[in-house]
Amino acid sequence: MNTEHILQTEDLTKTYGKGGTQTKALCGISIDVLEGEFLGIMGPSGSGKTTLLNCVATMLRPTSGRVILRGKDIASFKSSQLTEYRGQEIGYLFQEFELLDNLTARENITLPLALHGITGDSADSRISLLASKLDITDVLDKFPSQMSGGQKQRVAAARALISDPGIVLADEPTGALDSRNSRILMDKLAAINKNDGKTIMMVTHDANAASYCTRILFIQDGKVFHELRKSAAGETTAAFYDRIVAVMAQLGGGSANVL
Amino acid sequence: MFFKQIKRNAARNRKGNGLLYGSLVIAIVAFYTLLSLDKQDVMQFLSTIESEAVKKLLSLIPAVYAVSLFFVFFLVYFACRYQMESRRKEFGLYLMLGMKRSRLFFMLLGETLWNSIVSLLAGIPAAILLTEGTSLVTAKIAGLGIIGHSFSLSPEAILLTICGFIIIQVISLFVICLPYGRTEPAKFMQRDAASGQLRSSKPVSAVFTALGIVFLLVSYYIGLFDLSHEDISALAAHFALMLLTCALGTFSVYRGMGGIIGVSVARKARSATGLGTFTGRQVQESVLHQHRSLAVSSLLFLIALTCISYGIAMGAARITDSRTTDFSLTGTEQKVSAVLADPDVKAVTAASYPVYLSMTNIDFDTSRIQKALGKLKDAENASEYFHADYIISLSSYNRLMSAMGKESLTLGSNEAALYSTMESSTLYTYFSDVLAQGMTIGINGTDYRLKNVLYTDKIVADRSITLYAALIVSDDLYAKLAQDTEPFCWNLHLNNEFTQKYGLLQAIQKTEKYIDKYNIEYDSFLGGIGRTLFYTVAISYLTIYLGVIFLLIANTAVGTKFLIQQRENRHRYVTLMMLGADKEEMCRSARKQINTFFGLVLSVAVFNSIMFILILFSNFSIIPPGGLLTTIIILSLAALLLFVLTEIIYLAAVKRNACREIRAMDITDRG
Repeated sequence: MNTEHILQTEDLTKTYGKGGTQTKALCGISIDVLEGEFLGIMGPSGSGKTTLLNCVATMLRPTSGRVILRGKDIASFKSSQLTEYRGQEIGYLFQEFELLDNLTARENITLPLALHGITGDSADSRISLLASKLDITDVLDKFPSQMSGGQKQRVAAARALISDPGIVLADEPTGALDSRNSRILMDKLAAINKNDGKTIMMVTHDANAASYCTRILFIQDGKVFHELRKSAAGETTAAFYDRIVAVMAQLGGGSANVL
Repeated sequence: MFFKQIKRNAARNRKGNGLLYGSLVIAIVAFYTLLSLDKQDVMQFLSTIESEAVKKLLSLIPAVYAVSLFFVFFLVYFACRYQMESRRKEFGLYLMLGMKRSRLFFMLLGETLWNSIVSLLAGIPAAILLTEGTSLVTAKIAGLGIIGHSFSLSPEAILLTICGFIIIQVISLFVICLPYGRTEPAKFMQRDAASGQLRSSKPVSAVFTALGIVFLLVSYYIGLFDLSHEDISALAAHFALMLLTCALGTFSVYRGMGGIIGVSVARKARSATGLGTFTGRQVQESVLHQHRSLAVSSLLFLIALTCISYGIAMGAARITDSRTTDFSLTGTEQKVSAVLADPDVKAVTAASYPVYLSMTNIDFDTSRIQKALGKLKDAENASEYFHADYIISLSSYNRLMSAMGKESLTLGSNEAALYSTMESSTLYTYFSDVLAQGMTIGINGTDYRLKNVLYTDKIVADRSITLYAALIVSDDLYAKLAQDTEPFCWNLHLNNEFTQKYGLLQAIQKTEKYIDKYNIEYDSFLGGIGRTLFYTVAISYLTIYLGVIFLLIANTAVGTKFLIQQRENRHRYVTLMMLGADKEEMCRSARKQINTFFGLVLSVAVFNSIMFILILFSNFSIIPPGGLLTTIIILSLAALLLFVLTEIIYLAAVKRNACREIRAMDITDRG
């Protein structure tokens, strides 16, 4: 893993509503994501983890603070600059796949390229490479309705990776998958992270999925509450899983959640 | 509170669906116009002359109204469904909050009724203004007097319009809400997704397209070359077969079109940038999922276009064709001269002349014409029974021409012209075809060359006098051949100043009063205008009316179909935003989709319409020669322009709705 920061958030706040009905979803979060890192974000419902991801994903404009991606504050970008970043500098993976069901897998995968003026022809070799890595070569010319849930999510992963973005943001990517397909997906993502050095930031509730990460931030009440790192000295996924579950148990303990 | 909510929701519905409410207001205008027909000037005038025919026409109106209500029901149904589908989540929420289904239904009923009232309040005054305007314009065009025009209001028509309109609104609401009775709240709250999946087999699509084209070609062939049967049942069978093959062809073409679009999109996908592939796939999906609706809409457009074109052209043909001379006086020269010398009559006369028209005892040698007719398809009867027993003097005919402001006819030596006023399109075609070949006719052993066009301008005011075939001959020859050398009658043309001042109707009526003093027999154009004008009004009015209704329904159906589909697929647009598409780019894609969607429906309809209009004119009516064709072409172009304008307005409205929805989407709104 590189030690350079690819993404930083500085004192990020997000407030919903006005006046007396104000709700603070993020209360000055500052995090760093290193190049090639597989970062997990965990936390109970309402903790602010999805708001954090949405702010980083440029889907929400933070109330204050900065989101710095490769040295540029994307939180201050105007909408035309944001469309340049979306799909090109940032790849997305959603719980419900969000494939366009009237496009074939290949057309779905090349869509971010087409949107940024690059034709599918010029990306042929990259599509083949990603398809073989994600094991979706057979379904490239099929429509989503002709694929299994696992295949759909791997096609969505290929779409997130096709434009070689700086960071892939994943929002509960295993949320709609069975355990077998979840494992296949996480194996593939972990392999891409490890072998290609692709930075991934993933929000999840699933301790199993989180155990594939190299570092996990636990968020509560809009603040970073705890951090877990997979031991560099070859900690197994199973061992890391146990540690994650222990923290989650603490998080569920209300006022007793002091580590 | 409940009523306030109804009013608020109703206002929101109107604002969000201007396309529907605009169409509904037009439908109301159309309903009132039809129902108040008996109160309109033209009909009132016609009923004084052709009361039986007008009664028959008016007795048809309830049936036409029922048919239009039936079709407008679909318009309302499509549009309401679009609105209801977009509010599913809201309904689910009401149910989750404890609202009873019956209360929900009454709320929707209240909204529907409230919006009906608003539409009626806008539509009925507009309709009254329009009918008054139409009355004035029709009266002006048809040459009726406009001085006597009085404001007419038909309470019965208003009542029937209100009842019919509200009934179809309520029925469509019932039909839409019926499945809601069994829908679970969770189902309401679910994110909408496009139904079904895209599957199109290329060979199947190709087979359907080919089959569709073959059906359409068969239909055109039957229409153009196989509808000249004289046996009514055979004609009806062939006509039905033509319609059936046209409908089957249209359905098949749309059934196959989806696959073909798919192949084209897939071919271009690899080199496409921006939202090109997405746009293509959206259109393909629309065609695959909605090929039946597209075919129905296309057929509705076809009916609309055919009705409007035929109505306008026929109306123009009848109107322009009808007026030649205003009066034909019959009596001794002395009596007629007395009338013409009357100061009142003199003041309004533009031209008067004796008409030399007579039977002849000479048997013309028509063998060459008969032989040429015999060679024409299905013209055996015409060939066998061809006869020309009447002659018209060239000077009489030319005085008629000059009074009408038309070019005079010149006959060389040994030359004559064939004249006929039979109102039969087949005879007209046969005679014209034969004359075009260059014919001669034998008179007293000498061959006379016939002019190569048929002359048809009515030589007398009485419309009931029809001549199967007559010869226009030089005055010298007329004197030799005529059985009766006295004038057949005296024609009198009124001057333009007088007719323009009072309108033709009143001008003729005033002159009739002057002539009546002399106790002389006469026929006036007014006597003949009744039937002619009746056809003008009946054919033009009803066909244009139905055409407009169909045009309205087809446009609203296509527009709302598109908007429903876009709303069902809103999550796709949100995903596109996530992938870096900006809203303006998506709006451009939506506009392209709308253009293509309408284009697909219209292209087949316009092509079919051109063929059908050709079929209608080649089989069921004649276009008289001369300047009239120009009038028809100008009117058809005006109709085309109006049609294009209507489409531009609809396209703009659908595009505005579609883009407004896209712009209102939020990137965080993933369902």
